[in-house]
Amino acid sequence: MSAMNSKERISKIFSKNDDIDRIACFSGMGNVTMEGLKKYGYAFYEIHLDAEKMANAACTSYELYNFECAVVPFDLGIEAEVLGAEMNFYTHKERESIIYPTVKKKAIQEPEDLKIPENVAERNRVPLVLKALEIMQERVGDFVPVATYILGPYTLAGQLMDLEKLLKMSFKNPDRINDLLSNLTNFLIELGTIYRDVGIDYLTVREMGAPTDVLSPRMFKNLIQPHLKRLFSKLKKLKLPIVLHICGNTNPIVELMWESSPTAISVDQKNEVDKTREKLGDDAIIFGNIDPYGVLVKGGIDDIRNAVKKAIEGGVDSVWPGCDIWPAVSKENMLAFVKAVEEFGKR
Amino acid sequence: MVSEEKRKDILERLRKGVVEFDEDMVREAAKEALEVGMDALDAIMNGLVAGMEEVGELFDKGEYFVPEVLMCADALYAGLDILRPHVKKEDIKVTGQVVIGVVEGDVHDIGKNLVKMMFEVAGFEVVDLGKDVPLEKFVEESLNTNADIVALSAMMTTTMLGIPKVIEMIRKKNPNVKIMVGGAPVSKDAAEKWGADAWAPDATNAVNEAINMIKGLKKEIMERKED
Ligand code: B12
Repeated sequence: MSAMNSKERISKIFSKNDDIDRIACFSGMGNVTMEGLKKYGYAFYEIHLDAEKMANAACTSYELYNFECAVVPFDLGIEAEVLGAEMNFYTHKERESIIYPTVKKKAIQEPEDLKIPENVAERNRVPLVLKALEIMQERVGDFVPVATYILGPYTLAGQLMDLEKLLKMSFKNPDRINDLLSNLTNFLIELGTIYRDVGIDYLTVREMGAPTDVLSPRMFKNLIQPHLKRLFSKLKKLKLPIVLHICGNTNPIVELMWESSPTAISVDQKNEVDKTREKLGDDAIIFGNIDPYGVLVKGGIDDIRNAVKKAIEGGVDSVWPGCDIWPAVSKENMLAFVKAVEEFGKR
Repeated sequence: MVSEEKRKDILERLRKGVVEFDEDMVREAAKEALEVGMDALDAIMNGLVAGMEEVGELFDKGEYFVPEVLMCADALYAGLDILRPHVKKEDIKVTGQVVIGVVEGDVHDIGKNLVKMMFEVAGFEVVDLGKDVPLEKFVEESLNTNADIVALSAMMTTTMLGIPKVIEMIRKKNPNVKIMVGGAPVSKDAAEKWGADAWAPDATNAVNEAINMIKGLKKEIMERKED
């Protein structure tokens, strides 16, 4: 098999086309590193607030380590802001600190308070992300896929209203939460479409508020999966590959994740990938499951190589970190990570 | 005096009401406990708290999840609201006072809230500073409240690095307060390295550790008096 570039490779992986030289090492979530920011002298807090800085930062993992994608944004606040939440970006902190933006004021008290504004493409930081995606397409889009992510409806609900209230209401008044999730799903379909229109190669849906560390499989099935199903079926009509990512313990819900019918699923290190492969069969596209902190940051080269090997032997279709790559990761470790996939992932 | 049979029946309904998060069952049983002249503290400890301990076990076993636990807690509080005013003054022995919070930059508070709840169940008075708490605030509040324990939670490896900073600040300004740390990325080794007084992997163990520490604290004070 002759060499192919990352964009071609990953496009084939998404269509389960086995005509590839090797599997890929990429992600649908944040993967910027401090090493990459050094190249431009950026502080971590700056890259959430300026399209050019965001785009430059997002390309560095490809440029420095051949990590095979360029993904923005880096925080989980884009949708919440559009819907009325206020963020803290910690711009008053030291330049070298890595503090992720947080929601400082929730958008709604009750599920019925939700208002979805008009012209979503022009709201808050959406234009900034769109601009960044354009810059990235221009810079690296011929060789690597350019991507973004949205939150899953339940995780988004958790960003918008008091989480304990949401969790309890999910049990006591599931109908009210169901309506909220339904409205949020409409909003996410709109946002996903806006991203598609500017030109992305895949979209990740992060439903990280709903692993079984937090919710029961039953609740996942009754309350969350139906909305994911609708979200994916609409977005897939746009010919856009969709990855459903859930971190934490996903072993009891991998079937439900796959049945919700995304193009691929992504899981973290708590997932027993070999068993997941057995449960889902050969047709499923599974990404995972390298521990982004325990292995990539804390581990040595051997730990990284072993983890990559194990994931590949377990049957992943590409190697993904289990969540955002932790920015403090060293250059050596990132290089070893990508190299291990190139080596063990040969077809 | 209430018959042993009646007492058992009420305790069982309190326990069951908490475990099955049936607030009404708990309220009725709590009212009945008062009507028949049952000891309020007995009802709390052997009914409500026993139920909550079972809930903790169900959570650890993966049979209950976070929403279930939160609702059990609501049922427990419903019972406490009714029973607490009737606990005899001389029976109220606050186990200790805890200031708890999630360190700055970190919004992951599900775990912290479970720890907080178990402290309350065990009879601690808890001051909850919430999440994303500026580091200095832990020091100030530990001084303002005269707390026995400061409990620090972090769920991210970067925000976790705020913990040793807080410990250092507290040691300077408030050397007698005990410090307990936890959260998924915080290992026992790290806790020791930073000089924390205690660490626990989960909410139930957090309370046991705290009780041991408080005992130690009281012993220290006694010994100091003897010197
Ligand atoms: C739910 C969740 C969220 C929710 C949080 C909602 C909330 N209000 O809490 C949302 C969606 C908002 C979120 C956001 C983010 N998250 Co998050 N999230 C999680 C998730 C899936 C579950 C955490 C959880 O609640 N577990 C359940 C509780 C019950 O367990 P626990 O917290 O460990 O608590 C127990 C013990 O640790 C202990 N304990 C806890 N505190 C204390 C304190 C003391 C004193 C003691 C003794 C014991 C103790 O007792 C508890 C009960 O038994 C984890 C992954 C995972 N499965 O762990 C990622 C995870 C924590 N998140 C992560 C990340 C990266 C983020 C983001 C930065 C993503 C982004 N790009 O913006 C943001 C952070 C924003 C911020 N600045 O804080 C990473 C952190 C990685 C790292 N290197 O540290 C994790 C580990 C995912 C991963 N696999 O990488 N997240």
